[in-house]
Order: sequence, then structure tokens, then C-alpha cells
Amino acid sequence: MGSKKLRRTNLSVEICSRLHSHRIETCRDLLSLTPLEVMRVAGVSYSQACQLLKTTSQACAPKMTMAWELWRQKTGLYFPTSLAALDRLLQGGLACGTLTEVTGPSGCGKSQLCMMLSVLATLPHSMGGLDKGVLYIDTESAFSAERLVEIAQSRFPDYFLARERVAEMASRVHLFRELTCRDVQSRLQNLEEDIISCRAGLVVLDSVASVVRKEFDPSLPGNLTHRSNLLGKQAATLKYLAQEFGIPVVLTNQITTNLSDLKPATSFKWNSLEGSSLAAEDSGYVTAALGNTWSHSVNTRLIVQYVDAHCRQIIVAKSPVAPFAVFKYSIQSDGIRLEGDDDQAGPSHQGTDPGLQPIRVRSGFACNLTRGSSAIRDMRGSYS
Amino acid sequence: MQRPLSSFAFAPAVKVKLINAGFHTAADLCDLRPLQLSKESGISQQEAVEVLQTVRHDASQGAGAGSRMTALELLGREQAMGAIVTFCSALDSVLGGGMPVGKTSEVCGAPGVGKTQLCIQLAVDVQIPVCFGGLGGQAVYVDTEGSFMVQRVVDVAKAAVEHCSLLADDAEQREALKVFTVEDILSKLYLFRCHDYVELLAETYLLPDFLSQHPEVRLVVIDSIAFPFRHDFEDLSQRTRLLNGLAQQLAQMANQYNVAVVLTNQMTTKVGNGQSKLVPALGESWGHAATQRLILHWEGEQRALASGTCSLLTMLRLTHLRFRQGTLLSASAPKQTTTRLEDIWLKNNIQLF
Repeated sequence: MGSKKLRRTNLSVEICSRLHSHRIETCRDLLSLTPLEVMRVAGVSYSQACQLLKTTSQACAPKMTMAWELWRQKTGLYFPTSLAALDRLLQGGLACGTLTEVTGPSGCGKSQLCMMLSVLATLPHSMGGLDKGVLYIDTESAFSAERLVEIAQSRFPDYFLARERVAEMASRVHLFRELTCRDVQSRLQNLEEDIISCRAGLVVLDSVASVVRKEFDPSLPGNLTHRSNLLGKQAATLKYLAQEFGIPVVLTNQITTNLSDLKPATSFKWNSLEGSSLAAEDSGYVTAALGNTWSHSVNTRLIVQYVDAHCRQIIVAKSPVAPFAVFKYSIQSDGIRLEGDDDQAGPSHQGTDPGLQPIRVRSGFACNLTRGSSAIRDMRGSYS
Repeated sequence: MQRPLSSFAFAPAVKVKLINAGFHTAADLCDLRPLQLSKESGISQQEAVEVLQTVRHDASQGAGAGSRMTALELLGREQAMGAIVTFCSALDSVLGGGMPVGKTSEVCGAPGVGKTQLCIQLAVDVQIPVCFGGLGGQAVYVDTEGSFMVQRVVDVAKAAVEHCSLLADDAEQREALKVFTVEDILSKLYLFRCHDYVELLAETYLLPDFLSQHPEVRLVVIDSIAFPFRHDFEDLSQRTRLLNGLAQQLAQMANQYNVAVVLTNQMTTKVGNGQSKLVPALGESWGHAATQRLILHWEGEQRALASGTCSLLTMLRLTHLRFRQGTLLSASAPKQTTTRLEDIWLKNNIQLF
């Protein structure tokens, strides 16, 4: 709304032309001036300058709503994730109109969770879905259509028995592959049109960190502020879209090593599993990437981490409605499944700074090769 | 009478014409009529009338145009304005009776520590009826981050209503409870959602009119003031200028309309001397903007609150009790006042100055 042209507000033509000669065209330009500066450029007295600012403000200020009106429209406030205990804790699911971030070491299941949520968003309301399309922005090439179909057919075998339904579900998920910061930025600027034309109910950005960390080396001067500015702009654009359309936005993030008492080594990339054994030797600990400012920008932060070679956990590290909680989960053919009984994650009153919460990475894993390959053969056979 | 004409609030073109015609101080204009002034200086008759009216009005006000009062009168006025009580006695005592009305307060903290929770708490507590010790007012919530969750407000409101109904013992209080329900609380909470700094500035220009139309508003929350100003600015001096103007407008609004203004700030990492510290965002000059500064930080696994306006202070640990039901905050006893603020923060890598 700040870019509204002054010509379209209630200002007189004479004032508009005077401002135009000083290259003040939009509401943003005028409101960025102090009253004294407005007096000078518009050639008016102080009280008239204040009146001018008020008129411009009326043109671009947000409308007032009452909290009561928000509460009255009970539906459309959250997006159920089908993980019952998590939904109960988050008071319904992922909150619509906010940014939810999933962060953790690679291979932990972030992209799996994103694909599972994509399937859920396309389901009709009767099955707990949003009955809308999905915009999936993939920067790591981690999206697999086969896996999407596998999750759909394993999780809801009765519903997806008919091939037409599978095809319809798959056609509702719109995939965008962006590989540089600039591409991601321009995609986000134009996302509004895509959301409207695809009738999207969910936006997934997987992942925010990969392009940014590839292109910005924080050890160079000025790069850190430039990176924070870019991330801030992305967060602001996504929040605006989320709020205007009332849809949830899911982002994924990576991890970094926080060497406490030393300069934060954000250039340390932990993408490979096998290198994780170094974590124990360093004096630092692994935490979510992109820094403190990004931790402020997201509304909800879910951390996925390894407990040991077979067990994983999902932690609710930051949420406006839920306390700090931990759930165990595993990845099956039908996506993510919570394990353990429902009450195991009793809400606690403690917590930590979500930007500094230590994350456990996998410290080496044993793989039974023969068993693995036969499992893959079974999966391939089941849906061909 | 010797006040120079260039210091009056006329349009620049008018000033230039008056000075070129030889009028330099207010005394030069004292016995003039509008027609004569307009002929001599070349300004229009309408402008001449306005100029003379402004000069005469200024002369009649005399020296010391601002209001003056003794400290005793000011004390009485401050006590009459009251404070927003949070029903958590330890927190209220740290704040000096509650969140002060008529002043601006700033709440800084690391992500996830509870700034938005505290703001939502205050937005509900300001509506507690007078017979229970509250202000019985309404609240304005300006949200720039999208972290306002109406489900959370419902939780906190339910807890507040429950707490009051347990406390009610006389007829007046029971009567007041009839209009203190969750629906009433939600309908007295006005919400504005600003997406960038331009909308925030626009809203601040329009808030005085809104407050005069809704004289029962006692709290204005801006959550957060840091987010829109942190990523859109190449020119940092412009940002400082705008923030200073904003701070002045909010302070004036707080004083004139008897509201408590609460701003939320973020923390940023400052790297220097081989160490990284957390400091409040928006720069050094913003530190002086608010009358009172509260810092929420993590101490291990607990949340702690410190009041940043004096160096010897009462440190307070906050534990959120029964988070799901959104009960009002409960806190443990305050620590000894001899702990220095700087020592506590050095331990947690936070730096205020």
C-alpha cells in the first residue's frame, strides 16, 4: 500500500505537481519525510503540512479489525498436519497466515514432511485437507513426484484407489525449481499471481537456506547485512502473502555450528552426514542456520533431529500458541508418523532460545546393504 | 515581540516575501492591517490575514507557552492515571505498580522468549474492570509481524475471566463480571495489521484521531517496531530520523490521550573483539526513545525479565504457569538487588550499551 501514487489520493492537483517536481510520487516517498521537510517541498505552512501527511496516511493505512471478527470465522485458522498429538499442541495445526519453519540436519525428514503436507493440502475438507492447490518452490531438487504419489497411496489407500484421484492430486501441486537468490526473489515477487491462478492453499519453500548460503559468504565485509536484508525482505513478502490469502507458509532451513565464545562460524556447512563426527570434537554445538534475525522472522519453528541411528524427534522450539515440547517420529512409506503414546510430550514451562537450541546430528550410521536393496525392490513393485 | 518571522510556521514562499519586503521580527507587524501588509509584501489577502492572526496569537500567549506545574501536581496526575496491573504481584512490583499509563515502554528480547505473549497479556489485563483493580479500558494492537494469534487471546481471556470470578465477593464485582466475558474482551481489542514501515508511519499519524474517537482506549501495543525497519533501509540516517519522529509522536500521544504505549523490539547480534553479543536492535539512539525498557532473556531454560532503566535492579524470573490455559504469568521471588545488571548480562552474552 505504500506504493500508492499520490495522484490517486485526495490531494489537490497543485500540491501533487509541486511534489512531482521534487520527485515525490508515492505515499512512501511523502511519509518518509518529516513535517518540516514536507513544508519545504510542498511550500505550505506547518499546519497544512500536517494535514497533508494525515490525508496521505488515510490513503494507505491498514483497516481496523476487531479480534472478535477474527475469532468468529472459526474455520480457516489452521491447517491440520494429521499428526494428532502435534495438532493438539499447536491448537489445531499449522497456523494460517504465519510462517512455519522446519529446520534440522539433512536426511532427517524435512522434505518428507513438506511432501506429506502437500498431499494433505489437496485433500477435500471432509478428510481434513484444504481442497486447494500447493505451490512448491524447490531450491535443492529434493522434490520427487514418485515419493509424493507413494505417500498419498500409502496414507490414504482407499481414497487414492482410483487413478484419476491420484492424477488430480498431482496436478494440484505446482513445482517451481529455482536455483539462485535472484530467481527465488523474483519468484516471490510474482507469487501473488500464481497463488490466485493456481488457487493455492499452501506455499512451501524448500529450502530458504541453501541458495542464500551458496551466494553469501558471511566472512566478507558487508555480506552479513546484505544477507539479513534479503532474508528480511523474503520474510516480509511471505508474511504479506500468507496474511492476505489466509494460507500457511512452510519453509525449511539448514543447520550451522555455533562456536560459542567465538565468532559465529556460519559458513560451516553441515550438509553431509558422514562429516558429522566432527561435531563432538568442536567446542561449539549445532543449531539452526541463518542467524538470530531470521529466528525472529519466523512465527513457528519446528526442529527435527536424530536421537540415535533409528529414532528421530520433532521439537516445537518456537510457537505463539504452544509450549516447548518434544515428539518422537519415524519416516515410513506413508510419510511421517508420530511414535509413542499421545501424552508422552507433556507441555513444559521451560524452553530455550529457538535460535540457540542445540540440534543433534547423526554420528555415523550402519547400513545393512542387502536388506536395504530388497526393501527398495519391494517398494518399486508395489505401485507399478 | 522580538521573535524573528522566520521561526513562525508559515509557508516558505510567504516567509521569503515578508523578509524581502523588510519585515524581520514580530514587532514589525504589530500595527499593520491585512490590506496594507498584502500590498507591501506581495502576499495574497488571505495569507496576510493568517500571518497577522498567528503573530497576534503568539504575542498574547506570553512567555513560556508550555504548561507548567509543580512536581506535587505532577505526582498527583501520575497517580490518577494508574497503571495496567497484570495480577502477578512480583511483575507489578518490578514495573512499579504495573505498566505505566501515559508513558512509552519498550520490551526487548530474544526470539521466542515471550514478548508477544506479554503484549497479549497486557491487552487483556487492561480490560479488567475497575472494581477488580484494573483500568476497565480498551486496547489497540498494531501487529507488524503476523504473530498475533487470536486463539491465544481467547486462552488468556478465559483465564482472566476465571480468575476474576474467583475473586468476586460483592454485588458490584458480580455486576461487573456480566460485561467481562471472553466475547466482550475480544470486541474491545482493536487490531491493525501493518505490512511495512510506510503503513506503520501512516497508522501513527492517524492514531490520535482514532484515540479521540475511542476515549476508552488505555493501551496501544506495537508488535514489533523493529521488524519493518530492519530490512528495507539503505539509508540508515533516514531510518534514525524516522524512528526519532515516531518515538516523539508516540510519547506525545501517550501523554495527551492517557494511554500506555508498549513497543516490542528484537535483538541483534553484534560481533566485536572476537565475541558476539546480543544487543537490542534499531541502534544506539533508539535506546533513549522509550521511558522504560524491559529486557526478556533466557537464563538456561528459564525466562527472566530485567528492567533496563537502572543498573542496580531487581531481577525477576518468570515462569509461565499452565501455558495451555493461558493463565497469567506467575513469577518467583525477586533476586537480591545487589546483582549488577552488567554482570548478569555478560554471563548471558547480552549487552545493553
